[in-house]
Amino acid sequence: MLIYTINRILHMIPVLFVLTVVVFMFIQLLPGDVIDTLIGDEEAEDPATRELLMKEYGLDKPIYVQYGVWIGKVLQGDFGKSLVTRRPVALELFESIPATVYLAVVGISISMLIAIPLGAIAAVKRNSPTDYTAQIVSLIGISIPEFWFAIMCVLFFSLYLGWLPSSGYMSPFEDLGQSLKYLILPAAAVGFRQAAYTTRLTRSSMLDEMNKEYVDTARSLGFSEKKVIYKYTLRNAMIPTITISGLQLANLLGGTVVLETIFAWPGIGQAIYLAIIDRDYPLIQAGILVLGVIVVIVNLLVDLLYRVLNPRVALN
Amino acid sequence: MSEIHLQGGQRKVGEIHIPTWQERYERVKDALIDAVQELYKSKTAFIGGMMLVVLAILLLLTPVLTDYDPTKPDYSAFLEPPSVEHIMGTDRYGRDIFSRVLWGGRRLVVIAIAAVVFGLSLGIPYGVLSGYYGGFADSVSMRVVDGLLAFPGILLYLLIVTLAREWHLEGFWNDLILVFALGFAFFPEVARLARGSVLIEKQKEYVEASLTIGEASLYIALRQILPNCMSPLIVNATVRLGFVILIIAALSFLGLGTPPPTPDWGADLSAARDHMESNPLIAIFPGLAICYTVLAFNLFGDGLRDIMDPRLSDR
Repeated sequence: MLIYTINRILHMIPVLFVLTVVVFMFIQLLPGDVIDTLIGDEEAEDPATRELLMKEYGLDKPIYVQYGVWIGKVLQGDFGKSLVTRRPVALELFESIPATVYLAVVGISISMLIAIPLGAIAAVKRNSPTDYTAQIVSLIGISIPEFWFAIMCVLFFSLYLGWLPSSGYMSPFEDLGQSLKYLILPAAAVGFRQAAYTTRLTRSSMLDEMNKEYVDTARSLGFSEKKVIYKYTLRNAMIPTITISGLQLANLLGGTVVLETIFAWPGIGQAIYLAIIDRDYPLIQAGILVLGVIVVIVNLLVDLLYRVLNPRVALN
Repeated sequence: MSEIHLQGGQRKVGEIHIPTWQERYERVKDALIDAVQELYKSKTAFIGGMMLVVLAILLLLTPVLTDYDPTKPDYSAFLEPPSVEHIMGTDRYGRDIFSRVLWGGRRLVVIAIAAVVFGLSLGIPYGVLSGYYGGFADSVSMRVVDGLLAFPGILLYLLIVTLAREWHLEGFWNDLILVFALGFAFFPEVARLARGSVLIEKQKEYVEASLTIGEASLYIALRQILPNCMSPLIVNATVRLGFVILIIAALSFLGLGTPPPTPDWGADLSAARDHMESNPLIAIFPGLAICYTVLAFNLFGDGLRDIMDPRLSDR
């Protein structure tokens, strides 16, 4: 396990390298002088300051040196200053992480709560009306764009019924009740699509499991059908489901850019969106890098979790 | 024994048989008839296929079906509910929503198809050759694919689309960049899938037979192994089309697509949000269009998977 973990961490290096190079090149490929892009026009007007800044960022040196300088700064948590607020980018991003995590965790939990029982029942009652309904609903679920689902929810629950606020955010530590009211629609929008995926996944891995011999053995030993299904089969079927759901996080985090924007949810997604609109390049760069790194780390954790849950993999 | 019987008819060893147009036509015709018969086997594939046919007809006949210019404002008729003249009503500039949906769909579907074809044409040779030749080249090229697969997709598009905006790329060039980005993001998946099938296919006897009679290995890889690996790729490409459409719609919803007057499902939906309190229908039609299209591709892809690989039909 230790060797595997080290091996897996080493595998992250090329991925992180590709990620950082792409994000670094983004600034280089923007039109105009890199120094204007990074510092903003007004501050970089004075030739002397300009010279100084050029030195600091190593802009007079070849591009791989610039990359090295940039990586060095990033590793120290220095992403530069936001062009709009003039505050350190790291601080801006740091403040927006809790909101995104809050939304993502609640969204994923909702989706698991709906999808795992639904997928399991669909598999157990295969080719029954329940199964077909679950299949059709989940197929429609993965075909509906999440932003449209979100808009339709706002239209119905906020504008038509007036039950829930259409957008906004409140920290759960401030006022839990209010906070949940703001949370329901965005979390439902996050969870909906995820639930559709997870239902399909649970159903198919349940069917795989149910064809295995140990299920027959358990039945022939006289265990009740309930015990066979829920205690043995479902548990094993959960392993691939959990793994793939974890890997889906990349899609989910990408989706939050859209959903946070619709619901004015102050997370990383909205920060990146606003930065793109305001042309706040250092913030765009840092935001995408941070989201990318989060995804890579979560993928690693999920991979390791898979090994822990399923020790048989180690034998292959 | 100078002549060998292979699928293509009689031909000499070492000589490449070039089929005549007549033969090609026959082959395509047979394949199409087979395909339609196969489609009947799966209800999902059939429904999805029908939905796609309807979509194709609507989009091909768009110039005939629409009476209104999708970009020309008409201030005498803004935010009208659906009526005989405007089947889906009009938007805030009085533009006919029906014609905007159709013209927008034409563009969107063309971009999506171009992107998927680009991804396939990059990924298939890459995966097939990597799997066929194996060895060191294979492990290096698969590491590259792993690296790209781990890259969170939409973030890459956000960067590329922002770059396109900053360079003031508009219209055709903007679409081209989108095709490039979406296709490139699809390529690692294709490469890995193609490689996997090739590894299985390589063990089979017909490959050995071809090797014995002295076929060039490139010829074996591309003309004999590849056709046998196509089914998972086709299924994957179909489902990917739906996914690509969702991504493009999401980007233009964020205002990162083609600039305003161009009809665009995502952008129209985003614009409709300002008026949906008074006129909810304008926010519904472009969304339904996206759902219909993506669902059609997903149904078709799901059904195709069942048909092509009966082992997986339970999934």
